[in-house]
Amino acid sequence: MSAPATVRTAITGVGWAVPGPDFDPETELAVRGMRHKDRSSRFALRAARRALGDAGLLDAPELDGAAVVVSCNFGNLGPVCDFVATIDGEGSAGTSPMRVPHLSSAAAATWVALDHGMRGPNLTLSSGASGGLDAVAWARNLIAAGRATAALVIGMEPDTPPVARLHREAGGTGWIDGAVGLVVEPVRHAADRGARIRAEIAGFGRADDERSAVEAAGGAAVRRRLGGEPNARYGRCSGALGVVQCAMAVAELEAVAGPEPRAVLAVAGAGTEEGDGSSVAALVLTPPQGRPA
Amino acid sequence: MSWDLVGMSAICALGDTVPAIHAALCSGRSGLAPLSAFDSSRYRAGAAYEVPDRARPGVDEPLRATRWLVRVVREALAEAGLPEPEPRTPVLVGTTHREMRTAELWWRREAPLSPADLHFTPALRSALGLHNVHTVTSACAASLYGLGMATDLIASGEADTVVVAGTDSITESSFGGFDRIQPRPPDTIRAFDRSRRGMIMGEGAAAVVLRRAGADPGRVRGRVRGVGMNCDAAHATAPDPAGIVRAIEEAHERASLAPGDIDLVVVHGSGTSQSDLAEAVALEQVFKAADPGPLVTAVKGGTGHVSGGAGLLNLVVALESIRSRTLPPISGLADPIEEAGHLRLVSGRPATGPFGTAQVHAVGMGGINAVAIVEGAAR
Repeated sequence: MSAPATVRTAITGVGWAVPGPDFDPETELAVRGMRHKDRSSRFALRAARRALGDAGLLDAPELDGAAVVVSCNFGNLGPVCDFVATIDGEGSAGTSPMRVPHLSSAAAATWVALDHGMRGPNLTLSSGASGGLDAVAWARNLIAAGRATAALVIGMEPDTPPVARLHREAGGTGWIDGAVGLVVEPVRHAADRGARIRAEIAGFGRADDERSAVEAAGGAAVRRRLGGEPNARYGRCSGALGVVQCAMAVAELEAVAGPEPRAVLAVAGAGTEEGDGSSVAALVLTPPQGRPA
Repeated sequence: MSWDLVGMSAICALGDTVPAIHAALCSGRSGLAPLSAFDSSRYRAGAAYEVPDRARPGVDEPLRATRWLVRVVREALAEAGLPEPEPRTPVLVGTTHREMRTAELWWRREAPLSPADLHFTPALRSALGLHNVHTVTSACAASLYGLGMATDLIASGEADTVVVAGTDSITESSFGGFDRIQPRPPDTIRAFDRSRRGMIMGEGAAAVVLRRAGADPGRVRGRVRGVGMNCDAAHATAPDPAGIVRAIEEAHERASLAPGDIDLVVVHGSGTSQSDLAEAVALEQVFKAADPGPLVTAVKGGTGHVSGGAGLLNLVVALESIRSRTLPPISGLADPIEEAGHLRLVSGRPATGPFGTAQVHAVGMGGINAVAIVEGAAR
């Protein structure tokens, strides 16, 4: 699968909500409004706010027509397992009505939409390790199809006891606990509002093997490949992988100065560092390519 | 622009072919039956719309949603004349629960689970060689979201053929959660009826093959004219009529149609107090100037709420209704709510056609809406 770039799109905001020096989950996940949210929704809401803030789009009128695109594989596994444990013990009467929405994989995306009045398409993908890069490509598709003015892409995975057990049984020793957000918007729109373009989305490909995916993305000549770096830093990233890769690529494109044209190729999926049965997605990001004619 | 629908298949409590499901709905049959595998002592409700395919009574099996998905995708491709599809053909699978039922069994140590079981790529690759699979989990609007995304892939030139599917098996967590939040267990689903008491879960799968218009004219079963998709962003659980109205209007705009062009509507009609109300208010608003306005029906009284595949199941029933000129009635509807007073609700017995153009709804939890406009094969 490869998409002709009918509308040039760019990343204009990045928001990290991954525990570390800049993100203390003890306080960040306990702010007002979080009480009845599950862990993945809390992470998503924090990453969303940071990414929109970074893009200068918090409270912006164009959010009304913006899409939310989430990639997450294990978000509702915790709530689902909690519910069956409660049902086994106390019957359905013991379950919490406030937690019923979190049985759906789509819960985090709808909380984010509600938090920012984002009334465009509300898409959640649970496609395995390729899902994060897929999400960026679907965001671009939704914009190109005239369905969204902009899109907030969020990759997230929560660490809950069922998630930990599943990873351990599959040979994992570490896994991410957090979310990363990206704002994707048309280059023209970003230029018109004077936003800083962090990277342009140059190509995307999806295939059963890495070489074909990279070719479809137009990335065969790109020397810098980002694959398992997020896993080395955070453990298995699963549905968040591609989004973390893009956030790291943006930082790299901004940090490395030089006369040569640069680009970063991100590759995620089976056969790369996370073999989870998914196919392979490849995405090429470049520095800003100038104002559209 | 339109897209050709060249193959379709479905399975649910009422049957395992589209004509069988449609005929059962027209005859007023219900797929509701006593719980067959869950421990009914744990719930107030004792019935659901299950697919009766477990090998041993009372013993659950993992990966049923995956099994149905593979089956309906294979059948839809066979009907489309594509039994050995191009491996990179996109497959967009809409699902609310994925294999969370298998995860529940795993959590109790009654079945194995691997991360790859939670998306549908490995199963479709091994059964049909298809690897370009996307698991769309946008709640109960998921399969119509997949349809909208498929139209975009074809419109942009990215693909000529896309398979769109939906699948879900009933999970104990959601069955228990809805058992907890509904005031008392509904005896059946009565969409738009004053006495409605809520939603009852169903299960099953549906698939359609969508192709660029004119790709294989001999096999056209119907056409997709346009899909609208959005989010209310208004309330955590209660649907907002304004969001549904926007989704309908977007679908009409993409289809280049006016409200008066719609012959029939298959609503989401989950039978819950708020969702039915929101849909009725939205329909009244959109069709207030249409005379006489479309016929309106719902299938969930017969099929149950099949979750992620619900929108696509509505769609194949709509196309079969157009083909057979017979639109099934809303099961259990005797006394319509006031807000639906001006709608031409089909009740009691099927309505007869001809019908040309149908509007199909999916309203998901969290305010996720999708509306598709489809028409019959004959123009």
